[in-house]
Amino acid sequence: MAETLAVETHDLKKYFGEIKAVDGIDLEISKGTLFGFLGPNGAGKTTTLSILSTMLPKTSGKVTILGFDIEKQANEIRKRIGICPQDLVMYPRLTARENVHLIAQMHGILRADYKERTDELLGQMNLLERANSLAKTFSGGMKRRLNVLMAVIHEPELLFLDEPSAGLDPQSRHVVWDFIKGFQKQNATIILTTHDMAEADDLSDELVIIDHGKIIEKGKPKDLKNRLGEGDIVEFKVAEIDLRDEIVERIKQLDFVKWAQVFGKQMIKLNALGGLKRISEIMDAVEVKMLDIGVHENTLEDVFIDLTGRELRE
Amino acid sequence: MGKELHRVSNPNRLWYLTLKNLKMMFRDRIQWLWLLGYPVIFILLFAFAFDPGVFNIMAPAAILIGPLVLISQLASHFAEEKESGAMRRLATTPVSRKTILISGMTAQLIIGAVQIVLLLVLSVVFGAKIDPGANIGLLFLIPFLSCFTSLGFGLLLASFIKTSSSAGALAWFIILPLQIIGGLTTSEPLIAGFPTSFAVDAMRKVMTYGLTSFDAIGLDLLGVVAWGLITTVVGIILFQRKTAIL
Repeated sequence: MAETLAVETHDLKKYFGEIKAVDGIDLEISKGTLFGFLGPNGAGKTTTLSILSTMLPKTSGKVTILGFDIEKQANEIRKRIGICPQDLVMYPRLTARENVHLIAQMHGILRADYKERTDELLGQMNLLERANSLAKTFSGGMKRRLNVLMAVIHEPELLFLDEPSAGLDPQSRHVVWDFIKGFQKQNATIILTTHDMAEADDLSDELVIIDHGKIIEKGKPKDLKNRLGEGDIVEFKVAEIDLRDEIVERIKQLDFVKWAQVFGKQMIKLNALGGLKRISEIMDAVEVKMLDIGVHENTLEDVFIDLTGRELRE
Repeated sequence: MGKELHRVSNPNRLWYLTLKNLKMMFRDRIQWLWLLGYPVIFILLFAFAFDPGVFNIMAPAAILIGPLVLISQLASHFAEEKESGAMRRLATTPVSRKTILISGMTAQLIIGAVQIVLLLVLSVVFGAKIDPGANIGLLFLIPFLSCFTSLGFGLLLASFIKTSSSAGALAWFIILPLQIIGGLTTSEPLIAGFPTSFAVDAMRKVMTYGLTSFDAIGLDLLGVVAWGLITTVVGIILFQRKTAIL
Protein backbone atom coordinates (compact mmCIF):
# COMPACT_ATOMS: atom_id res chain seq x y z
CA MET A 1 0.00 0.00 0.00
CA ALA A 2 2.70 2.42 1.09
CA GLU A 3 4.54 1.99 -2.24
CA THR A 4 1.60 3.46 -4.09
CA LEU A 5 1.54 6.51 -1.86
CA ALA A 6 3.51 9.64 -2.68
CA VAL A 7 2.65 11.33 0.61
CA GLU A 8 1.51 9.90 3.90
CA THR A 9 1.07 11.93 7.08
CA HIS A 10 -0.29 10.97 10.44
CA ASP A 11 -1.39 13.54 13.03
CA LEU A 12 0.89 16.19 11.52
CA LYS A 13 1.17 19.28 13.69
CA LYS A 14 3.03 22.55 13.43
CA TYR A 15 2.76 25.14 16.17
CA PHE A 16 4.28 28.60 16.20
CA GLY A 17 4.07 29.36 19.90
CA GLU A 18 0.37 29.46 20.70
CA ILE A 19 -0.67 29.45 17.06
CA LYS A 20 -1.70 26.06 15.70
CA ALA A 21 -0.81 26.49 12.02
CA VAL A 22 -1.26 22.78 11.27
CA ASP A 23 -3.35 20.88 13.74
CA GLY A 24 -3.39 17.13 13.27
CA ILE A 25 -3.51 16.48 9.54
CA ASP A 26 -3.82 12.93 8.21
CA LEU A 27 -3.18 12.50 4.49
CA GLU A 28 -2.75 9.71 2.00
CA ILE A 29 -1.91 10.94 -1.49
CA SER A 30 -1.54 8.32 -4.20
CA LYS A 31 1.22 8.52 -6.77
CA GLY A 32 0.17 10.18 -10.02
CA THR A 33 -2.52 12.26 -8.36
CA LEU A 34 -2.98 16.00 -8.72
CA PHE A 35 -3.94 16.81 -5.17
CA GLY A 36 -5.26 20.18 -4.11
CA PHE A 37 -5.22 22.03 -0.82
CA LEU A 38 -8.02 24.57 -0.88
CA GLY A 39 -8.55 27.08 1.87
CA PRO A 40 -8.49 30.76 2.74
CA ASN A 41 -5.32 32.71 3.43
CA GLY A 42 -3.83 31.67 6.76
CA ALA A 43 -5.59 28.28 6.74
CA GLY A 44 -2.31 26.35 7.00
CA LYS A 45 -1.87 25.34 3.34
CA THR A 46 1.57 26.82 2.80
CA THR A 47 2.79 25.64 6.20
CA THR A 48 1.70 22.09 5.39
CA LEU A 49 3.37 22.27 1.99
CA SER A 50 6.55 23.68 3.53
CA ILE A 51 6.72 20.72 5.91
CA LEU A 52 6.02 18.16 3.19
CA SER A 53 8.72 19.70 0.98
CA THR A 54 11.35 19.54 3.79
CA MET A 55 11.52 23.33 4.10
CA LEU A 56 10.06 23.53 7.59
CA PRO A 57 10.41 21.16 10.55
CA LYS A 58 7.18 19.78 12.00
CA THR A 59 6.23 20.02 15.66
CA SER A 60 4.98 16.43 15.80
CA GLY A 61 3.43 13.65 13.75
CA LYS A 62 4.75 11.30 11.10
CA VAL A 63 5.48 12.21 7.48
CA THR A 64 6.60 9.91 4.70
CA ILE A 65 7.36 11.29 1.25
CA LEU A 66 7.85 8.85 -1.64
CA GLY A 67 8.58 6.19 0.95
CA PHE A 68 11.25 8.24 2.76
CA ASP A 69 10.99 9.47 6.32
CA ILE A 70 11.07 13.27 6.29
CA GLU A 71 13.28 13.59 9.34
CA LYS A 72 15.82 10.90 8.58
CA GLN A 73 15.94 11.00 4.78
CA ALA A 74 15.38 14.62 3.81
CA ASN A 75 18.22 14.56 1.28
CA GLU A 76 16.72 11.58 -0.54
CA ILE A 77 13.42 13.44 -0.70
CA ARG A 78 15.06 16.60 -2.04
CA LYS A 79 16.54 14.67 -4.95
CA ARG A 80 13.04 13.67 -6.03
CA ILE A 81 10.89 16.73 -5.48
CA GLY A 82 10.38 20.07 -7.15
CA ILE A 83 9.04 23.18 -5.45
CA CYS A 84 7.37 26.21 -6.89
CA PRO A 85 7.11 28.63 -3.98
CA GLN A 86 4.30 31.15 -3.64
CA ASP A 87 6.81 34.02 -3.81
CA LEU A 88 8.63 34.63 -7.08
CA VAL A 89 11.98 33.14 -6.14
CA MET A 90 14.61 33.52 -8.83
CA TYR A 91 17.86 35.35 -9.40
CA PRO A 92 17.01 38.75 -10.89
CA ARG A 93 20.45 39.26 -12.41
CA LEU A 94 20.46 35.88 -14.17
CA THR A 95 18.67 35.28 -17.44
CA ALA A 96 15.61 33.03 -17.60
CA ARG A 97 17.73 30.31 -19.17
CA GLU A 98 20.47 30.66 -16.54
CA ASN A 99 17.93 30.48 -13.71
CA VAL A 100 16.52 27.21 -15.03
CA HIS A 101 19.99 25.82 -15.79
CA LEU A 102 21.12 26.49 -12.22
CA ILE A 103 18.40 24.31 -10.72
CA ALA A 104 19.20 21.56 -13.24
CA GLN A 105 22.88 21.80 -12.29
CA MET A 106 22.04 21.47 -8.60
CA HIS A 107 20.19 18.25 -9.46
CA GLY A 108 23.17 16.93 -11.40
CA ILE A 109 21.47 16.79 -14.81
CA LEU A 110 23.89 16.39 -17.73
CA ARG A 111 24.56 19.65 -19.57
CA ALA A 112 23.37 18.43 -22.96
CA ASP A 113 20.13 17.15 -21.44
CA TYR A 114 19.27 20.23 -19.41
CA LYS A 115 20.07 22.62 -22.23
CA GLU A 116 17.64 20.86 -24.56
CA ARG A 117 15.01 20.41 -21.86
CA THR A 118 15.23 24.05 -20.74
CA ASP A 119 14.49 25.37 -24.21
CA GLU A 120 11.64 22.90 -24.59
CA LEU A 121 10.08 24.10 -21.32
CA LEU A 122 10.66 27.79 -22.06
CA GLY A 123 8.84 27.23 -25.35
CA GLN A 124 5.90 25.57 -23.61
CA MET A 125 5.57 28.56 -21.30
CA ASN A 126 5.93 31.11 -24.12
CA LEU A 127 9.21 32.37 -22.70
CA LEU A 128 11.68 31.17 -25.33
CA GLU A 129 11.96 34.56 -27.02
CA ARG A 130 13.02 36.10 -23.71
CA ALA A 131 15.26 33.22 -22.66
CA ASN A 132 18.36 35.43 -22.61
CA SER A 133 16.75 38.38 -20.84
CA LEU A 134 17.53 39.02 -17.20
CA ALA A 135 14.73 37.85 -14.94
CA LYS A 136 14.51 41.31 -13.36
CA THR A 137 13.21 42.67 -16.67
CA PHE A 138 10.26 40.23 -16.71
CA SER A 139 6.65 41.10 -16.01
CA GLY A 140 4.93 39.50 -13.02
CA GLY A 141 3.24 36.92 -15.26
CA MET A 142 6.51 35.95 -16.93
CA LYS A 143 8.21 35.60 -13.56
CA ARG A 144 5.37 33.41 -12.34
CA ARG A 145 5.78 31.11 -15.35
CA LEU A 146 9.56 31.00 -14.87
CA ASN A 147 8.98 30.20 -11.19
CA VAL A 148 7.03 27.10 -12.25
CA LEU A 149 9.66 26.05 -14.81
CA MET A 150 12.41 26.15 -12.22
CA ALA A 151 10.45 23.59 -10.21
CA VAL A 152 10.13 21.05 -13.02
CA ILE A 153 13.39 21.21 -15.00
CA HIS A 154 14.71 18.08 -13.27
CA GLU A 155 11.43 16.19 -13.81
CA PRO A 156 10.63 15.55 -10.17
CA GLU A 157 8.53 12.60 -9.08
CA LEU A 158 6.64 14.88 -6.72
CA LEU A 159 5.94 18.52 -7.51
CA PHE A 160 4.77 21.09 -4.96
CA LEU A 161 3.00 24.14 -6.36
CA ASP A 162 2.15 26.86 -3.89
CA GLU A 163 -0.45 29.19 -5.41
CA PRO A 164 1.14 28.75 -8.88
CA SER A 165 -1.12 31.14 -10.74
CA ALA A 166 -1.55 33.85 -8.09
CA GLY A 167 -1.84 37.26 -9.67
CA LEU A 168 -1.82 35.99 -13.25
CA ASP A 169 -4.03 37.35 -16.01
CA PRO A 170 -6.55 34.81 -17.41
CA GLN A 171 -4.46 34.03 -20.48
CA SER A 172 -1.26 33.32 -18.52
CA ARG A 173 -3.27 31.40 -15.98
CA HIS A 174 -4.47 28.97 -18.62
CA VAL A 175 -0.93 28.58 -19.97
CA VAL A 176 0.18 27.58 -16.45
CA TRP A 177 -2.84 25.29 -15.94
CA ASP A 178 -2.26 23.53 -19.26
CA PHE A 179 1.39 23.11 -18.36
CA ILE A 180 0.52 21.60 -14.98
CA LYS A 181 -1.97 19.20 -16.55
CA GLY A 182 0.61 18.19 -19.15
CA PHE A 183 3.20 17.57 -16.47
CA GLN A 184 0.80 15.38 -14.51
CA LYS A 185 0.21 13.20 -17.56
CA GLN A 186 3.86 12.19 -17.30
CA ASN A 187 2.98 10.21 -14.14
CA ALA A 188 4.17 12.89 -11.74
CA THR A 189 2.38 13.50 -8.45
CA ILE A 190 1.45 17.13 -7.96
CA ILE A 191 0.43 18.86 -4.77
CA LEU A 192 -1.19 22.20 -5.29
CA THR A 193 -2.21 24.80 -2.75
CA THR A 194 -4.65 27.48 -3.76
CA HIS A 195 -7.38 29.73 -2.51
CA ASP A 196 -8.71 29.96 -6.04
CA MET A 197 -11.70 27.63 -6.23
CA ALA A 198 -11.66 27.56 -10.03
CA GLU A 199 -8.03 26.47 -10.00
CA ALA A 200 -8.71 23.77 -7.42
CA ASP A 201 -11.80 22.61 -9.30
CA ASP A 202 -10.21 22.61 -12.74
CA LEU A 203 -6.90 20.97 -11.81
CA SER A 204 -7.40 18.67 -8.82
CA ASP A 205 -8.19 14.97 -9.01
CA GLU A 206 -8.73 15.06 -5.28
CA LEU A 207 -8.57 17.82 -2.74
CA VAL A 208 -8.85 18.70 0.89
CA ILE A 209 -10.52 21.82 2.19
CA ILE A 210 -8.42 23.15 5.01
CA ASP A 211 -9.26 25.78 7.59
CA HIS A 212 -7.58 26.77 10.86
CA GLY A 213 -4.94 24.09 10.30
CA LYS A 214 -7.45 21.24 10.06
CA ILE A 215 -8.88 19.29 7.15
CA ILE A 216 -12.59 19.95 7.17
CA GLU A 217 -13.49 17.97 4.06
CA LYS A 218 -11.78 15.79 1.48
CA GLY A 219 -12.75 14.13 -1.76
CA LYS A 220 -13.04 14.64 -5.50
CA PRO A 221 -14.19 18.14 -6.50
CA LYS A 222 -17.34 16.77 -8.13
CA ASP A 223 -18.26 14.71 -5.07
CA LEU A 224 -17.69 17.67 -2.79
CA LYS A 225 -19.96 19.85 -4.88
CA ASN A 226 -22.59 17.15 -5.02
CA ARG A 227 -22.86 17.19 -1.24
CA LEU A 228 -24.83 20.40 -1.77
CA GLY A 229 -27.15 18.70 -4.22
CA GLU A 230 -27.19 18.98 -7.96
CA GLY A 231 -29.15 22.20 -8.21
CA ASP A 232 -27.95 25.72 -8.79
CA ILE A 233 -26.99 28.46 -6.41
CA VAL A 234 -29.18 31.52 -6.44
CA GLU A 235 -27.94 34.82 -5.04
CA PHE A 236 -30.18 37.75 -4.17
CA LYS A 237 -29.18 41.25 -3.29
CA VAL A 238 -31.76 43.05 -1.23
CA ALA A 239 -32.18 46.68 -0.30
CA GLU A 240 -33.64 46.20 3.19
CA ILE A 241 -30.63 45.01 5.14
CA ASP A 242 -32.52 44.81 8.45
CA LEU A 243 -34.87 42.17 7.08
CA ARG A 244 -32.23 39.79 5.72
CA ASP A 245 -32.33 37.38 8.67
CA GLU A 246 -36.08 37.15 8.59
CA ILE A 247 -36.06 36.40 4.86
CA VAL A 248 -33.45 33.70 5.27
CA GLU A 249 -35.43 32.06 8.06
CA ARG A 250 -38.54 32.02 5.89
CA ILE A 251 -36.67 30.68 2.86
CA LYS A 252 -35.14 27.90 4.94
CA GLN A 253 -38.65 26.64 5.62
CA LEU A 254 -39.13 25.86 1.92
CA ASP A 255 -38.76 22.15 1.25
CA PHE A 256 -36.72 22.58 -1.96
CA VAL A 257 -34.07 24.80 -0.30
CA LYS A 258 -31.19 22.94 1.28
CA TRP A 259 -29.55 25.95 2.88
CA ALA A 260 -29.72 29.70 2.90
CA GLN A 261 -27.30 32.14 4.40
CA VAL A 262 -26.65 35.86 4.68
CA PHE A 263 -23.48 37.39 3.24
CA GLY A 264 -23.41 41.14 3.40
CA LYS A 265 -26.40 42.12 1.32
CA GLN A 266 -26.58 38.68 -0.32
CA MET A 267 -28.54 35.60 0.47
CA ILE A 268 -27.45 32.34 -1.04
CA LYS A 269 -29.84 29.50 -1.64
CA LEU A 270 -29.49 26.11 -3.18
CA ASN A 271 -31.59 24.32 -5.74
CA ALA A 272 -34.00 27.17 -5.64
CA LEU A 273 -34.28 27.91 -9.31
CA GLY A 274 -37.47 25.95 -9.70
CA GLY A 275 -38.95 27.78 -6.75
CA LEU A 276 -38.14 31.36 -7.62
CA LYS A 277 -41.81 32.24 -7.65
CA ARG A 278 -42.25 31.08 -4.05
CA ILE A 279 -39.17 33.02 -2.94
CA SER A 280 -40.44 36.08 -4.72
CA GLU A 281 -43.71 35.76 -2.83
CA ILE A 282 -41.80 35.69 0.45
CA MET A 283 -39.95 38.85 -0.55
CA ASP A 284 -43.25 40.52 -1.32
CA ALA A 285 -44.74 39.35 1.96
CA VAL A 286 -41.98 41.03 3.99
CA GLU A 287 -41.91 43.98 1.60
CA VAL A 288 -38.33 43.56 0.51
CA LYS A 289 -37.03 44.99 -2.74
CA MET A 290 -34.71 42.73 -4.75
CA LEU A 291 -31.76 44.70 -6.21
CA ASP A 292 -30.13 41.90 -8.12
CA ILE A 293 -30.45 38.20 -8.75
CA GLY A 294 -27.82 35.74 -9.99
CA VAL A 295 -27.74 32.02 -10.70
CA HIS A 296 -24.66 29.83 -10.97
CA GLU A 297 -23.66 26.19 -10.67
CA ASN A 298 -22.33 24.77 -7.42
CA THR A 299 -18.72 25.74 -6.79
CA LEU A 300 -16.16 24.69 -4.23
CA GLU A 301 -16.61 28.09 -2.66
CA ASP A 302 -20.23 27.16 -1.95
CA VAL A 303 -18.97 23.96 -0.36
CA PHE A 304 -16.61 26.00 1.81
CA ILE A 305 -19.46 28.33 2.78
CA ASP A 306 -21.63 25.37 3.63
CA LEU A 307 -18.88 23.89 5.80
CA THR A 308 -17.67 27.01 7.58
CA GLY A 309 -20.45 29.56 7.28
CA ARG A 310 -18.14 32.08 5.65
CA GLU A 311 -16.61 32.89 2.29
CA LEU A 312 -13.15 31.72 1.18
CA ARG A 313 -11.83 35.24 0.86
CA GLU A 314 -12.87 36.38 4.32
CA MET B 1 7.99 14.32 -20.21
CA GLY B 2 10.61 14.67 -22.91
CA LYS B 3 13.41 12.24 -23.36
CA GLU B 4 15.03 10.77 -20.27
CA LEU B 5 17.36 13.06 -18.32
CA HIS B 6 20.77 11.68 -17.46
CA ARG B 7 22.40 12.62 -14.18
CA VAL B 8 25.99 12.78 -13.05
CA SER B 9 26.74 11.15 -9.71
CA ASN B 10 28.84 13.95 -8.28
CA PRO B 11 28.02 17.29 -9.91
CA ASN B 12 30.32 20.24 -9.23
CA ARG B 13 27.70 22.29 -7.47
CA LEU B 14 30.29 24.52 -5.79
CA TRP B 15 31.61 25.66 -9.15
CA TYR B 16 28.13 26.27 -10.60
CA LEU B 17 27.08 28.34 -7.59
CA THR B 18 30.35 30.30 -7.54
CA LEU B 19 29.92 31.07 -11.22
CA LYS B 20 26.34 32.16 -10.57
CA ASN B 21 27.50 34.50 -7.80
CA LEU B 22 30.24 35.99 -9.99
CA LYS B 23 27.81 36.54 -12.88
CA MET B 24 25.37 38.31 -10.60
CA MET B 25 28.08 40.54 -9.14
CA PHE B 26 29.50 41.28 -12.58
CA ARG B 27 26.07 42.45 -13.76
CA ASP B 28 25.59 44.87 -10.88
CA ARG B 29 27.28 48.18 -11.70
CA ILE B 30 26.71 49.55 -8.21
CA GLN B 31 28.68 46.66 -6.76
CA TRP B 32 31.54 47.32 -9.15
CA LEU B 33 31.54 50.99 -8.23
CA TRP B 34 31.63 50.11 -4.57
CA LEU B 35 34.21 47.29 -4.85
CA LEU B 36 36.69 49.36 -6.84
CA GLY B 37 35.55 52.94 -6.32
CA TYR B 38 35.91 53.09 -2.55
CA PRO B 39 39.55 51.87 -2.32
CA VAL B 40 40.55 53.72 -5.51
CA ILE B 41 39.33 57.00 -3.99
CA PHE B 42 41.79 56.54 -1.14
CA ILE B 43 44.66 55.75 -3.51
CA LEU B 44 43.90 58.90 -5.49
CA LEU B 45 43.42 60.94 -2.32
CA PHE B 46 46.70 59.80 -0.82
CA ALA B 47 48.54 60.17 -4.14
CA PHE B 48 47.44 63.77 -4.70
CA ALA B 49 47.26 64.98 -1.10
CA PHE B 50 50.60 63.73 0.16
CA ASP B 51 54.16 64.09 -1.08
CA PRO B 52 55.73 60.94 -2.58
CA GLY B 53 57.48 59.97 0.65
CA VAL B 54 54.23 59.94 2.62
CA PHE B 55 52.35 58.24 -0.25
CA ASN B 56 54.87 55.39 -0.05
CA ILE B 57 53.76 54.88 3.57
CA MET B 58 50.04 55.25 2.81
CA ALA B 59 49.78 53.17 -0.40
CA PRO B 60 50.06 49.80 1.40
CA ALA B 61 47.19 50.91 3.67
CA ALA B 62 45.06 51.98 0.71
CA ILE B 63 45.52 48.54 -0.86
CA LEU B 64 44.15 46.95 2.34
CA ILE B 65 40.98 49.05 2.11
CA GLY B 66 39.99 46.82 -0.82
CA PRO B 67 39.49 43.64 1.24
CA LEU B 68 37.50 45.62 3.83
CA VAL B 69 34.79 46.30 1.27
CA LEU B 70 34.14 42.55 1.10
CA ILE B 71 32.50 42.73 4.55
CA SER B 72 29.62 44.68 3.08
CA GLN B 73 29.60 42.64 -0.13
CA LEU B 74 29.35 39.23 1.50
CA ALA B 75 26.81 40.36 4.10
CA SER B 76 24.66 41.93 1.37
CA HIS B 77 24.97 38.85 -0.83
CA PHE B 78 23.75 36.41 1.81
CA ALA B 79 21.13 38.82 3.15
CA GLU B 80 19.74 39.15 -0.38
CA GLU B 81 19.68 35.36 -0.79
CA LYS B 82 17.83 34.98 2.51
CA GLU B 83 15.48 37.88 1.83
CA SER B 84 14.48 36.74 -1.66
CA GLY B 85 13.94 33.12 -0.61
CA ALA B 86 16.66 31.96 -3.02
CA MET B 87 18.55 30.26 -0.21
CA ARG B 88 15.43 28.34 0.81
CA ARG B 89 14.79 27.35 -2.78
CA LEU B 90 18.36 26.11 -3.18
CA ALA B 91 18.08 24.28 0.12
CA THR B 92 15.28 22.17 -1.31
CA THR B 93 17.65 20.83 -3.98
CA PRO B 94 20.35 18.27 -3.15
CA VAL B 95 22.95 21.03 -2.61
CA SER B 96 24.21 21.34 0.98
CA ARG B 97 24.16 24.55 2.97
CA LYS B 98 27.91 24.21 3.35
CA THR B 99 28.30 24.35 -0.45
CA ILE B 100 26.01 27.39 -0.67
CA LEU B 101 28.09 29.10 1.99
CA ILE B 102 31.49 28.22 0.51
CA SER B 103 30.36 29.26 -2.98
CA GLY B 104 29.45 32.71 -1.68
CA MET B 105 32.82 33.04 0.02
CA THR B 106 34.75 31.70 -2.99
CA ALA B 107 33.15 34.25 -5.30
CA GLN B 108 34.11 37.04 -2.92
CA LEU B 109 37.68 35.71 -2.65
CA ILE B 110 38.01 35.70 -6.43
CA ILE B 111 36.73 39.28 -6.54
CA GLY B 112 39.09 40.15 -3.68
CA ALA B 113 42.09 38.68 -5.53
CA VAL B 114 41.32 40.66 -8.68
CA GLN B 115 40.77 43.77 -6.60
CA ILE B 116 44.15 43.39 -4.84
CA VAL B 117 46.04 43.07 -8.12
CA LEU B 118 44.28 46.12 -9.56
CA LEU B 119 44.94 48.20 -6.46
CA LEU B 120 48.62 47.18 -6.38
CA VAL B 121 49.03 48.17 -10.03
CA LEU B 122 47.10 51.40 -9.54
CA SER B 123 49.16 52.45 -6.52
CA VAL B 124 52.36 51.94 -8.53
CA VAL B 125 50.89 53.85 -11.47
CA PHE B 126 50.20 56.79 -9.16
CA GLY B 127 53.75 56.83 -7.86
CA ALA B 128 54.06 54.37 -4.96
CA LYS B 129 57.52 52.82 -4.79
CA ILE B 130 57.88 49.14 -4.10
CA ASP B 131 61.18 48.43 -2.37
CA PRO B 132 63.46 46.36 -4.67
CA GLY B 133 63.78 43.75 -1.92
CA ALA B 134 60.05 43.34 -1.56
CA ASN B 135 58.47 39.93 -2.14
CA ILE B 136 55.64 40.43 -4.65
CA GLY B 137 53.99 37.21 -3.50
CA LEU B 138 53.75 38.57 0.04
CA LEU B 139 52.31 41.83 -1.28
CA PHE B 140 49.46 39.76 -2.68
CA LEU B 141 49.25 37.26 0.18
CA ILE B 142 48.86 39.75 3.05
CA PRO B 143 45.77 41.53 1.67
CA PHE B 144 44.42 38.18 0.44
CA LEU B 145 44.64 36.76 3.97
CA SER B 146 42.88 39.91 5.16
CA CYS B 147 40.00 38.95 2.86
CA PHE B 148 39.27 36.00 5.15
CA THR B 149 38.86 38.29 8.14
CA SER B 150 36.46 40.41 6.08
CA LEU B 151 34.50 37.36 4.99
CA GLY B 152 34.24 36.25 8.62
CA PHE B 153 32.86 39.64 9.66
CA GLY B 154 30.57 39.58 6.64
CA LEU B 155 29.15 36.21 7.70
CA LEU B 156 28.66 37.42 11.26
CA LEU B 157 26.66 40.36 9.93
CA ALA B 158 24.71 38.16 7.52
CA SER B 159 23.74 35.87 10.40
CA PHE B 160 21.80 38.58 12.18
CA ILE B 161 20.46 40.94 9.54
CA LYS B 162 17.41 40.32 7.41
CA THR B 163 17.74 42.68 4.46
CA SER B 164 20.51 43.47 2.04
CA SER B 165 20.04 47.21 2.50
CA SER B 166 20.59 46.97 6.25
CA ALA B 167 23.67 44.82 5.58
CA GLY B 168 25.23 47.62 3.57
CA ALA B 169 24.50 50.19 6.26
CA LEU B 170 25.55 48.11 9.26
CA ALA B 171 28.77 47.01 7.58
CA TRP B 172 30.07 50.55 8.12
CA PHE B 173 30.06 49.94 11.87
CA ILE B 174 32.74 47.33 11.22
CA ILE B 175 34.52 48.81 8.21
CA LEU B 176 35.18 52.26 9.65
CA PRO B 177 36.70 51.17 13.00
CA LEU B 178 38.87 48.62 11.21
CA GLN B 179 39.94 51.26 8.71
CA ILE B 180 40.57 54.13 11.10
CA ILE B 181 41.76 52.39 14.27
CA GLY B 182 43.69 49.80 12.31
CA GLY B 183 45.79 52.55 10.72
CA LEU B 184 44.59 52.48 7.12
CA THR B 185 44.19 56.25 7.04
CA THR B 186 47.12 57.14 9.29
CA SER B 187 50.86 56.50 9.20
CA GLU B 188 50.57 53.83 11.88
CA PRO B 189 47.79 51.88 13.65
CA LEU B 190 46.01 53.72 16.46
CA ILE B 191 45.59 50.47 18.41
CA ALA B 192 47.71 47.35 18.04
CA GLY B 193 46.09 43.95 17.79
CA PHE B 194 43.33 44.85 15.31
CA PRO B 195 43.21 42.63 12.21
CA THR B 196 43.99 45.63 10.04
CA SER B 197 46.79 46.73 12.41
CA PHE B 198 48.62 43.44 11.82
CA ALA B 199 48.00 43.60 8.07
CA VAL B 200 49.07 47.20 7.54
CA ASP B 201 52.24 46.72 9.58
CA ALA B 202 53.14 43.69 7.49
CA MET B 203 52.33 45.42 4.19
CA ARG B 204 54.43 48.47 5.04
CA LYS B 205 57.38 46.35 6.13
CA VAL B 206 57.26 44.39 2.88
CA MET B 207 56.27 47.06 0.35
CA THR B 208 58.00 50.14 1.72
CA TYR B 209 61.03 48.67 3.48
CA GLY B 210 61.54 45.40 1.62
CA LEU B 211 61.55 43.26 4.79
CA THR B 212 60.61 39.65 4.21
CA SER B 213 62.13 37.64 7.08
CA PHE B 214 59.94 35.82 9.58
CA ASP B 215 61.50 37.88 12.39
CA ALA B 216 60.29 41.04 10.71
CA ILE B 217 56.79 40.10 9.62
CA GLY B 218 56.11 36.69 11.20
CA LEU B 219 54.11 38.02 14.15
CA ASP B 220 52.05 40.30 11.92
CA LEU B 221 51.28 37.47 9.51
CA LEU B 222 50.26 35.21 12.38
CA GLY B 223 47.96 37.98 13.63
CA VAL B 224 46.33 38.29 10.20
CA VAL B 225 45.92 34.51 9.90
CA ALA B 226 44.57 34.17 13.45
CA TRP B 227 41.96 36.90 12.92
CA GLY B 228 41.01 35.37 9.58
CA LEU B 229 40.59 31.92 11.09
CA ILE B 230 38.66 33.02 14.17
CA THR B 231 36.22 35.33 12.39
CA THR B 232 35.64 32.88 9.53
CA VAL B 233 35.00 29.89 11.81
CA VAL B 234 32.72 31.87 14.15
CA GLY B 235 30.97 33.41 11.13
CA ILE B 236 30.36 30.02 9.51
CA ILE B 237 29.04 28.47 12.74
CA LEU B 238 26.68 31.36 13.45
CA PHE B 239 25.50 31.59 9.86
CA GLN B 240 24.82 27.86 9.68
CA ARG B 241 22.79 28.05 12.88
CA LYS B 242 20.79 31.06 11.81
CA THR B 243 19.92 29.64 8.40
CA ALA B 244 19.23 26.07 9.51
CA ILE B 245 16.27 24.49 7.73
CA LEU B 246 16.23 20.95 9.07
